[in-house]
Amino acid sequence: MIDKPKSIASPWRRTAVIYAILALGAFAFPGGIVGWLDERNGTGRLAAPLALARGVETISGAIGLKFIGAALRERFQAFVGDTDS
Amino acid sequence: MLFPTIDFAIFFCLCLPLVWSLNSHNTLKKLVLLGLSLAFYASWNWRFLLLLLASAAISYLVGLHVDAARRRPLRRLVLALGVALDLGILGYFKYLDFFIAQTLTLAHALGLNPSIGFVNVTLPVAISFLTFHAISYIVDVYRGRLAPSRSPVDIVLYISFFPHLVAGPIVRAHEFLPQLASPRRAGDFSFGENALLILGGLFKKMVIANYLAVRFVDPVFTDPSQFSRADLIMAVYAYAFQIYADFSAYTDIAIGVAALLGYRFPQNFNQPYRALGIGDFWRRWHMTLSNWLRDYLYIPLGGNRHGALATARNLMLTMLLGGLWHGANWTFLIWGAMHGAMLVVDHVWRRSAVFARWGSKPLVKALDWTLTFHFVCFAWLFFRAPTLDAAMQFIAGVWSDNGAAATMPGVVAPLIAAGAATQIVPSRYIRRLAMKFDNFGAIAQTAVGAALLYFIVVMAPSASAPFIYFQF
Repeated sequence: MIDKPKSIASPWRRTAVIYAILALGAFAFPGGIVGWLDERNGTGRLAAPLALARGVETISGAIGLKFIGAALRERFQAFVGDTDS
Repeated sequence: MLFPTIDFAIFFCLCLPLVWSLNSHNTLKKLVLLGLSLAFYASWNWRFLLLLLASAAISYLVGLHVDAARRRPLRRLVLALGVALDLGILGYFKYLDFFIAQTLTLAHALGLNPSIGFVNVTLPVAISFLTFHAISYIVDVYRGRLAPSRSPVDIVLYISFFPHLVAGPIVRAHEFLPQLASPRRAGDFSFGENALLILGGLFKKMVIANYLAVRFVDPVFTDPSQFSRADLIMAVYAYAFQIYADFSAYTDIAIGVAALLGYRFPQNFNQPYRALGIGDFWRRWHMTLSNWLRDYLYIPLGGNRHGALATARNLMLTMLLGGLWHGANWTFLIWGAMHGAMLVVDHVWRRSAVFARWGSKPLVKALDWTLTFHFVCFAWLFFRAPTLDAAMQFIAGVWSDNGAAATMPGVVAPLIAAGAATQIVPSRYIRRLAMKFDNFGAIAQTAVGAALLYFIVVMAPSASAPFIYFQF
């Protein structure tokens, strides 16, 4: 298991890569994070992040990324017969 | 807060910079990690924090007193008290109602009507894993394998460290506490290997385990009478791969997350369905539990030191208690008894003259694998069935085909094949991939990581099954 010292080993570089991977994931599938924030925004204290997430969703939709992800999911679920979706 | 959720992704994103920014301030780093771990546990039910802290306090005080006691009988007494308290907590929350139910059944059978009520307490999350960690610490101190920690923070953090808290792996105190004393550098851990562990874990859980559970295994086990013989048989094999994908996913993610925070956990799975013999299976499946049971139960019972009969008794007792550890249900006891009996057979077989002569022949190895794999799958039936009656109905359904048409969805076979592939791919290929990933630039790492995450999300089903080991 897992013991490979590397020259490129800064924790900050790794953190940046992890953040970037998750940010790209959220950009490709923005509905998840919007729904998550919406569910927890009963008191309105998450209004700012929710607005930001909706902005990201709009951009993702405008460039078509959101729909590609949704369409791929739909096709895959139809392919495997996941009718609950 | 389970691993494959947005909640945990956000939590982990907060942890990463916080923990690494404090790497040169170890005391503060440990306090922050402790706070994060307690917050993680409190996200289920904050009231159980008291239980966790009580368990840690018992471990801390017993560790100090075991070490301080000069005379062996006193050391043993303090240890026994500590283990009894830990097991008492576990017993109260997990087993009391089960034993009350058995007592009432027995009493009614004898024509008695005792006025005993059920305690009906909520089972605290992770109580079994928590107890194992606590016992590991005090026994290791008693055995002189570990100096008692003078830092209560270290002990609470050892027991509550969030990556292993809910479903393991079971990390020994002597493996973990030295890591708290001197922080590692990020470079001590391969980024590629751990990122692939986490992404692979997400794939195993979100795709293989979830589809198998939601589309096939859960409906079949809920009402086996509605399904054909072929469906019932395939559901048992599908469950074998579901539970492997589910549980190994959790511990892979735990190992990866811990490593990305600078802490090393032991390996927990090593392609268990390749095992040749049931002893070999337990050296590959939930390895940290097997090692724990060996070191803290089987060997103290006498191990294999007192002849064949005592060895058989010790194997049976260890596996019966190992089965019962999974839950207060006859199905787990039967499952443990089956594994115990098979371990006894395996023990005798591997020491026989026939095995010494023929054991290395390919045909014997093939037979060994076939018997082991199918036995393990059959035993999973009892592990999965909600009650003993349900398990027997399931077997009766296989025995007397109801004539129904097979309804296994087409997705099940490729998923089983994917699960089987995880048993075959040599680990050196994974390591080679990880090394390549390590040598990529940041942009390429991001692109590869995001692409893998993208395909996992695309393939994940809309419904999700809870982690199986979460309930233990």
